[in-house]
Amino acid sequence: MVNVMKGVLVTCDGAMKQFLLHLDDTLKLGRKFIIQDLDENHLFISADILDILQAKIDDLMDQISFPLAEKGQ
Amino acid sequence: MADNGSSSSSTSAVFTLNKSSNLECKNLHDYLKTRPPNVLEKLYNHPTICLAVYRELPELARQYVIRILFVEQPVPQAVVASWGSQAFSKEHVYVSKVLSELSVWQEATIPGGLLGWILTPTFKKNLKITLLGGGKPWSMSSALDTDNKARDVSFLDSYSLERWECVLHYMVGSQQQEGISADAVRILLHAGLMKRDEEDGSPVITRQGFQFLLLDRHAQVWHFILQYLDTVEQRGLDLVECLTFLFQLSFSTLGKDYSTEGMSQGLLVFLQHLREFGLVYQRKRKAGRFYPTRLAINITSSAANSRSITMLDDDTHKGYIIVETNYRVYAYTDSNLQVALISLFTELMYRFPNLVVGIITRESVRQALRGGITADQIIGYLKQHSHEKMLEEGKDPLPPTVVDQIKLWELERNRLTYQEGVLYSQFLSQADFNVLKEYAQSNGYLIWSHKEKRTLVINKNAHEDIKKFWKRYSKGS
Repeated sequence: MVNVMKGVLVTCDGAMKQFLLHLDDTLKLGRKFIIQDLDENHLFISADILDILQAKIDDLMDQISFPLAEKGQ
Repeated sequence: MADNGSSSSSTSAVFTLNKSSNLECKNLHDYLKTRPPNVLEKLYNHPTICLAVYRELPELARQYVIRILFVEQPVPQAVVASWGSQAFSKEHVYVSKVLSELSVWQEATIPGGLLGWILTPTFKKNLKITLLGGGKPWSMSSALDTDNKARDVSFLDSYSLERWECVLHYMVGSQQQEGISADAVRILLHAGLMKRDEEDGSPVITRQGFQFLLLDRHAQVWHFILQYLDTVEQRGLDLVECLTFLFQLSFSTLGKDYSTEGMSQGLLVFLQHLREFGLVYQRKRKAGRFYPTRLAINITSSAANSRSITMLDDDTHKGYIIVETNYRVYAYTDSNLQVALISLFTELMYRFPNLVVGIITRESVRQALRGGITADQIIGYLKQHSHEKMLEEGKDPLPPTVVDQIKLWELERNRLTYQEGVLYSQFLSQADFNVLKEYAQSNGYLIWSHKEKRTLVINKNAHEDIKKFWKRYSKGS
């Protein structure tokens, strides 16, 4: 028998994948969302989590960036 | 960030909210290619169009056309191929395709069964007219008395600039300028450059609109006119007539006045539209004469060729932007439009009568990226309008750090790509897995697969097809 599941294939670099795994482990998005860990650059996740996930990643990006230029004088 | 889309990914299955594609700029060739053959046939009845098409052909194609122009019978395809060296057979194949697509030539059988090329009769006849003279006089060439209020070139330039900027101003929503007509708004909406706001129905700019604003002037006019031509038939105007007129305009002389005598009612309407966008100047609606402006002249030649022709931007507009390594942008301008454009991707700090100071920040660039502008477009715009002081220092006018950082900010948004798919796993045998993988691969459904894990991911839309195939396969085995 073949197992069939619908979802979204995520392609990313290694660091981002670890971040996603971390989010999944710690239930940061409220629940588990990774269906299957495919390989080092690919994950298969459920489709309905996508919006929340994108917002979360955006947050992360904001946190790890710092203003490059002085705005003052 | 809802639209974490990657414009670089090519598959349609890529999960993005920017489903509306990027702005597509067609050149003359692309445009004519998509016209039905009978329209092309009608167009080629006009020598001006034949000349414009001929001018825009690739070099090799122009040579072919000239060589067989006076040959009254089909020339064997092998003979045409032998005119170039073997090393350039790729170019030969390409130009043959171009010539066929534009119905410049067509295939014909030569007695003896060989295939040959012959120029389309209408095209041949009218290209000869352009080269040798003859034919009917242009509709706009009837003699005129001298205009007692003749306009010179610099007046026309500033007029066309003002009219065109009016349209651009409207797009960026600056209030100071007079509005544009309902017709023009309709074209902007039709072209997808603006869309109706969901709440109050007022037009707002789209991502294509932003990209449009950052194009050079020539490309803007051409793109806009193409979109306009798409709608002429709904207005009851004749597409062929309008195109012919446009091509005639593009070959007219700057600073000379032309007569509107003998123009049909439809063409007069068309002329009024062109007048609104600044492609022609008329003192009064019923003046009986008009002046083409620089925007209309050479409108059909592609961007690459137009470099050599003095365009509006080059002689009246000097670069005005200075970018420093500390991400500061100094724009020496008093034009609201230019300020509005700069503010698409910079955070403005100070404004003086002739100078605007802003700063490029991560947030401001991201906002532009969200609006659908690409990093290359931002950099391209800054480069194109660099102040001459920036050009003196080296060959690259922008500080590399700023260029790189803008690109990095774009890449940051694309660290993840999403593709909707269906996962198949736990195959009973390696053979089953291989069969399904082969099938998916040969049909282009396969997104990802892993042999050892016997797992594969397939395009979401292909699920039904795969299911049917799997049923057939299971029954068979």
